[in-house]
Amino acid sequence: MSVQTAPTRVELDPEVLALHRRMRRRQQLRRGFTYVLGVLIALWYLVPIYFIGSMAFTTPDYVRAYPKSVLPFIPFSLDTMGFFLRSEGIIPGVINSIVVAVFTLVLSTLIAAPAGYAVSRFLFPGRDFFRLAILAVRAFPVVILAVPLAVVFIAAGIFDTVYAVGLMHTALTLPTTVLVIGSVFASIPYELEEAAMVFGCTPFQAFRHVVLPLVLPGIAASAIFTFVMSWNEVFAASILTVQNRTLPAQVLFALSNSSEAYQFAGGFFMMVPALIFIFFIRRYLFNMWGQVTK
Amino acid sequence: MEPTPSAPPAPRRRRIRWAPYILIAPTFIYLALFFAWPMAQGLILAIYDDEALLTLRAEASRDAPKVGHLPQGTHLEIQGQQSNRLEPGAELGENALTEIWFYVRAEDADGGPVAGWVPERRIRVRERAPDGSPLRGTVRIKLGQDVDPRTAVHGEPREQSPVVGYLEPRTPVAIQEQAVLEVWYRVRGLDEGGEPVEGWAPSRYIQVFGDENRGRVDRGDTGQFTTRFLAKMWNDRFFRPAVTNTFLLMVLIIPTQFVLAVVMALVIQAQLRGSDLLLYIYAIPLGVSDLAVGILWFSIFTQHGLLNSVLYQFGLIDAPTTYLSAETKYWIIVAVWLAEVWRATSLVMVIVVSGLQAIPGEVLEAAELFGANLWQRVRYITLPLLRPSLQVALILRTILALQVFAVVIALSGGDVVTVLANEVYRQYTEFRNPNVAAAYAGFILVLSMISAFFYLRTIRSHQEVAG
Repeated sequence: MSVQTAPTRVELDPEVLALHRRMRRRQQLRRGFTYVLGVLIALWYLVPIYFIGSMAFTTPDYVRAYPKSVLPFIPFSLDTMGFFLRSEGIIPGVINSIVVAVFTLVLSTLIAAPAGYAVSRFLFPGRDFFRLAILAVRAFPVVILAVPLAVVFIAAGIFDTVYAVGLMHTALTLPTTVLVIGSVFASIPYELEEAAMVFGCTPFQAFRHVVLPLVLPGIAASAIFTFVMSWNEVFAASILTVQNRTLPAQVLFALSNSSEAYQFAGGFFMMVPALIFIFFIRRYLFNMWGQVTK
Repeated sequence: MEPTPSAPPAPRRRRIRWAPYILIAPTFIYLALFFAWPMAQGLILAIYDDEALLTLRAEASRDAPKVGHLPQGTHLEIQGQQSNRLEPGAELGENALTEIWFYVRAEDADGGPVAGWVPERRIRVRERAPDGSPLRGTVRIKLGQDVDPRTAVHGEPREQSPVVGYLEPRTPVAIQEQAVLEVWYRVRGLDEGGEPVEGWAPSRYIQVFGDENRGRVDRGDTGQFTTRFLAKMWNDRFFRPAVTNTFLLMVLIIPTQFVLAVVMALVIQAQLRGSDLLLYIYAIPLGVSDLAVGILWFSIFTQHGLLNSVLYQFGLIDAPTTYLSAETKYWIIVAVWLAEVWRATSLVMVIVVSGLQAIPGEVLEAAELFGANLWQRVRYITLPLLRPSLQVALILRTILALQVFAVVIALSGGDVVTVLANEVYRQYTEFRNPNVAAAYAGFILVLSMISAFFYLRTIRSHQEVAG
């Protein structure tokens, strides 16, 4: 801002000029420092991912080798990943995981979307209680739910099915989904809906033609996040399944009796959806998690 | 980003608007069904033993009056046995002793008609219906001398019931009905007060010892509140290490995370070129499962892993160091610490960034104009204004830190270093003891509720401040 207000060069006092230079240098220095810091933190995240990724795509012999030449040319091969994918229970586990995650995504979005709309558009007695209840649910540990639900599901005869896991995951993701969808609706000004109604739309038409197209990307982001949460969930899936394990449950089950090649390939395979999906929803993250502070 | 309704329709006082309630109803019902109810069930599981007491009855019948109770595990004398018809849909378990009786029609030695109940062991079934139920058979021959070769036919499916006729061996019979009977024992033992009680109980609840005269109450049929499971958890040899490790990890992880998260958030907020890419990289762990992160850090700390390879290449070590073994517990703690910081700092960062976005830029500019340096601005302006966000993130992280599970399993196998959530899993899957598992879960719940209490209070006070 000092640059904008600076008078023409001719009139400049050398002292002021020196001050400007110092400030500019300090600013550049600070930017450079921030860059270095930012890149270092990025490396803290990327190096482990790079390492396990390279272990997942090399030969099992190389996984066992020591010392490994860490940078940069680990021999590329599909052997390790192929070995992992051919291991017992992995392909069915992947299918189960996808079925559970899609089931959770659909159920959770269908149930949460109306509630999110209500929380963001209506002031009604009990609204604060509802929001607090939702937040409280999110604070409770999944660990407590899994055991009684297992007992209930055994009694209901749906224990060890993908749907049981899906029902459980929906209970886990529902609070987050409600809050996220609520914040997505809240980011669309109500005036838009009002204007549509002034021009003769029914409330439903206003919702359908004005609000819905605007919120769809946000809802899609929340659905993707629900998918990832379900895909990642280990504890409940391990307790609720015996034969029809999801992928994380299968990997956890086989973990202690498996080779490092299996573990590394499995670990990286489970990370892939995160690597892809987080890229698409990164802009919505603050919508999702910023919520909790409000 | 702003969660309050942007311009909610003015509430009309005249009548109740049902629309919002209808819209939130599905969420409410779902959470009640799959969250609140199981949660309550879980707590009951921890303090209620539904097999605590075995009811003894005056006769070998469900309808007979009760004469006393025997606690589970009591040793008892078996004084007699008698069969009784099984109520439909009963769960028998492995101890139950059952027998089958047939209602048969046949002719006796004199050619007269006989109809009544005969034990299955006295009939050889010759013909069955397509569904497997017996239709016809013949009376078996009795072996041995000095026995009545004839088979008695009873008026009811019990040995004690009056005999209505006798059948010769090899007589063909028509089987019209079958009844499943369960053996009841007349038992004698000491009740909870140490008083001897005597009465009848179904065999399914009693484990009989080899000599057939003694046994013990295997499980009860009446529930009772008990502190047994809580005591079992308290005395579990993994309880203390689990509590210690959970808290130790919490104390290590949370401060590190907060420092790192604030730094990351400030980097993101500096709006450098490429900060979009940085945000993506920083956010990746949000979507990675704790199991995968555990494996990731295992690949670094394992004997032939990244860390040893790098140290070797820089000439710092000659032979690979073992980190993740029972002798080097502290290295496992360090590995879990790093893994959790790697995994869960992103969440704190996102919360902090949304908090930062709410701080008006003018405040910082003003401070800069008055000569505050970067550290002073962070220390005296940013951090105080971030306090509500940081508080909430802190409590959320505390609750989540109580649930650390898969990272620990992947890095320690779950035995060397254990945490509370791992004990829930171990009790449930390995020891097949849902009650103690529920006790552990309840313990985590109590700790979480203490945190959640502060969580909700913080939100409320923040809302008041925000208006």
